[in-house]
Amino acid sequence: MTTLDQHVGTRPIPNPKNSLITRLNAGTGLIVGIIFAIATYQGLAKVLDTSVYHLHNQVLLATMFMWSIGFLVGIGAFIGPIRWLIGKDLTAEEQLYMAGDGQGIKRYFKYCTDHKVVGIQYLWGVIAMLAVGGAMAMMIRTDLANPGGHFITPSVYNSLVGLHGITMIVALIIVATGPFGNFIMPIMIGAADMAFPRLNALSWWVLFTAIPVLCSAWFLGGIPTGWTAYAPLSIQAGPGMNAFIATIIIFAVSTAIAGANITATVVTMRAKGMTWNRVPIFVIGATVSVALAIPAFPTFMLSMIMTAMDRSFLTGFFDANVGGTGWLYAHLFWIMGHPEVYVILIPGVAIIMEVVPVFVRKPLFSYTAAIVGFAGITGLSILVWAHHMYISGWMPMLNGPFMVTTEMISVPTGLIFLVILGTLWNGKPWLKVPMLGVYAFLWNMLVGGITGLYLSDVPADMYLHGSMYVTAHFHYTLMGAALTGAVAGLSYWYPKMTGHMLHERASYISFWLVQIGFQILYLGMFIAGAEGQPRRVVDYAEQFATSNMVSTIGAYAIGIGFIILLWAVIHSWRHGKIAPMNPWGAKTLEWTVPYPVPLVNFDTPPVVTSDPYGYGRSAK
Amino acid sequence: MSEHDNVDLKPTPGARLTKFFKRSDVIQSTIFGVIITLVFVILGGKFYTQWMPTIMSTDMKAIERLMVVFTWIAAPVCGVVLGIALYTFLNRHSGDTPPPDGPATRTNGPVVLGWSVVTSLLALVAVIYGITEMNSSSIATAKHAEDAMVVNVVGNQWVWSFEYPELGVQSHELMLPVNRPVAFHVTSVDVNHSFWPVQLGVKVDANKLAETLADTTPTKLGEFDVKCAELCGLYHAYMETTGEVMTKADFDNWVIEQGGHTA
Repeated sequence: MTTLDQHVGTRPIPNPKNSLITRLNAGTGLIVGIIFAIATYQGLAKVLDTSVYHLHNQVLLATMFMWSIGFLVGIGAFIGPIRWLIGKDLTAEEQLYMAGDGQGIKRYFKYCTDHKVVGIQYLWGVIAMLAVGGAMAMMIRTDLANPGGHFITPSVYNSLVGLHGITMIVALIIVATGPFGNFIMPIMIGAADMAFPRLNALSWWVLFTAIPVLCSAWFLGGIPTGWTAYAPLSIQAGPGMNAFIATIIIFAVSTAIAGANITATVVTMRAKGMTWNRVPIFVIGATVSVALAIPAFPTFMLSMIMTAMDRSFLTGFFDANVGGTGWLYAHLFWIMGHPEVYVILIPGVAIIMEVVPVFVRKPLFSYTAAIVGFAGITGLSILVWAHHMYISGWMPMLNGPFMVTTEMISVPTGLIFLVILGTLWNGKPWLKVPMLGVYAFLWNMLVGGITGLYLSDVPADMYLHGSMYVTAHFHYTLMGAALTGAVAGLSYWYPKMTGHMLHERASYISFWLVQIGFQILYLGMFIAGAEGQPRRVVDYAEQFATSNMVSTIGAYAIGIGFIILLWAVIHSWRHGKIAPMNPWGAKTLEWTVPYPVPLVNFDTPPVVTSDPYGYGRSAK
Repeated sequence: MSEHDNVDLKPTPGARLTKFFKRSDVIQSTIFGVIITLVFVILGGKFYTQWMPTIMSTDMKAIERLMVVFTWIAAPVCGVVLGIALYTFLNRHSGDTPPPDGPATRTNGPVVLGWSVVTSLLALVAVIYGITEMNSSSIATAKHAEDAMVVNVVGNQWVWSFEYPELGVQSHELMLPVNRPVAFHVTSVDVNHSFWPVQLGVKVDANKLAETLADTTPTKLGEFDVKCAELCGLYHAYMETTGEVMTKADFDNWVIEQGGHTA
């Protein structure tokens, strides 16, 4: 960082002509990646017989990992470490070049260390994933509009369910901490960049390499297992499963890098005077989320490595015939799987908490309760995983304890409601689009929370488990609460990220279409679940026809709503109303920097003397 | 939800409370809250009884009752949250400039404490009620364990098979005598399935080379659905069959028709 700081005033035009880094970008990454992949596939196919199940899996997995490594080599991800190893560390000019200084739009296609560039890369990556995942959801709902509809075959349907699931899960894990955690958060804490800028670039480009791998699943026969990828179905599955495995492993590496980086940044790089009780709540939320991901995702990675070994070397971790068990997989999966939903939820909640004080013009009600709520959820979330396994028959004796820990989560969740409601109380909310998201969040989180109460209860879960009711429940929490929070964050921070206001009328229309469609869609699905329709079915009995039709109508409203939002985001990027420096009158640090945000964010490092919630007429 | 006490004269707590409940925002929020609570109480009574299928066993009856009671426990929470949210939503500020600042309330100790205690108590009620239901069903099972009829359930991509070892019968349809406890011993020959006789309100996974248990007592005559509730590959959606709860006499006739012997 010091090398960058020295250049703030003078800003020399970087001219590292002879350096390799000037010639590398995503294009060279693609070329080298494809060369690596083809060479690996051709080379291994010569020695290994790809018509044999496990040898084919070996070849495919190796090809996918080599593509990822090849891409990173081609984009120049390893130049820094290699130059350091051979004793010729990057010069100041080269580092400045790597930060994308003065390179315009080209820097978005390079291994760029500027956190703002990485934030925008994440934003468009997330938008692309949500668009693809959303299109898959529309196909699923179209198929389910009528019973007996043969819009798609069972094989395609099962693949769609799996790909929709994993695409959306990955997108939602990074939807808030990716774009806003990278672009906004360092400015919010008064830092010049992330703690490890190169790791930051690495986390994005590693994630990027997972996208083509996941897409390749479609051409390798799909993922027939759903996103949970339960063994032994995953062992039985065709070659497309390798793409799923490779995606998860690559993604886990990316989140580990990003998690370590964000945590280190928040711990070490806060502005002078920003003590822990003056940190904006979004920063706390993002940090808690990535810190929770650090222990959670390695078990997912581990479960996938074991699945890969079962498939490629016939090891039999999950094969009952040789003493393995599918229950082992289910445990490893859910030890990740339940913390993971809070990895998704907490940043969304934190955005909502960041938005409320600004638009109600009151301090955040009980900052302490918010922290205790986050801490309680985080702590309990690692003790509840087996509530996904009440009816697995694994150990019915332990259902009681897991039920207790699960229902205890309603207490810290209650504190989160208290913080938002307490801030609203006695206030006159300014109903701009971000603030509308707060109300949608409250309703959706309430429905998601209460339906979660039934599911946490063993006897009720006996009926509801594996039904459409579960699907509706977790869409309320993940989409209704977390994604709504992220969309509120997008309209809130859009002016700072693009210099323009997000098209207001379009985002209003989009908001109402999405939220009303959402209620219709999942009301129908709750009813279908209560009636007894299993989830992940390509077809269903006549008795569920009405509720499914209702759901499909709602889904189309959501689809249209999000297309309008996408139009607004694209249109406003260049043509939106020019945003003032602080359009919402907020008090956090990111609104004190101009657009475009300077390379090192602040001309003089800010000094913080209070928390950012000093609104209110008579501070006692 | 008391806060913002701008009273200097130190009135008694009772007087403060009266004054608090005379504020128009408090009155409106309370009215909204009470209406919403009532709506949820009524909905709670109707929604699940309306949509959940016919109750055909002791377990299903307990489940439906539990869903209703949980909705009632949640109703006041909905009332408080949505009552306040609705009031502030209606009392919004419009315009292109930020509204004037509200009161600078940072926190309110009694409110935070009270809220935590109340939500903890509600969670405790839910836990105790759930555990009681769970235990009473397993105690009932243990009592009847001796005269329970054993049915071995086998999941096979994508067919359910039922074997009655005591009667020497095999079938792809699940026939059960009414009012006699039945114990399902569930297993799979390939991937995970989940055995779900819908109207009987039990469900348990079928795992390869492992036996899982579920039990219930059918209480009502009639047909029911048997489904698979765990994604099990290509034709998961079609892995379903029907069953019927019959009188003892009808059941015995069916067993003999199938070539079995009655106990």
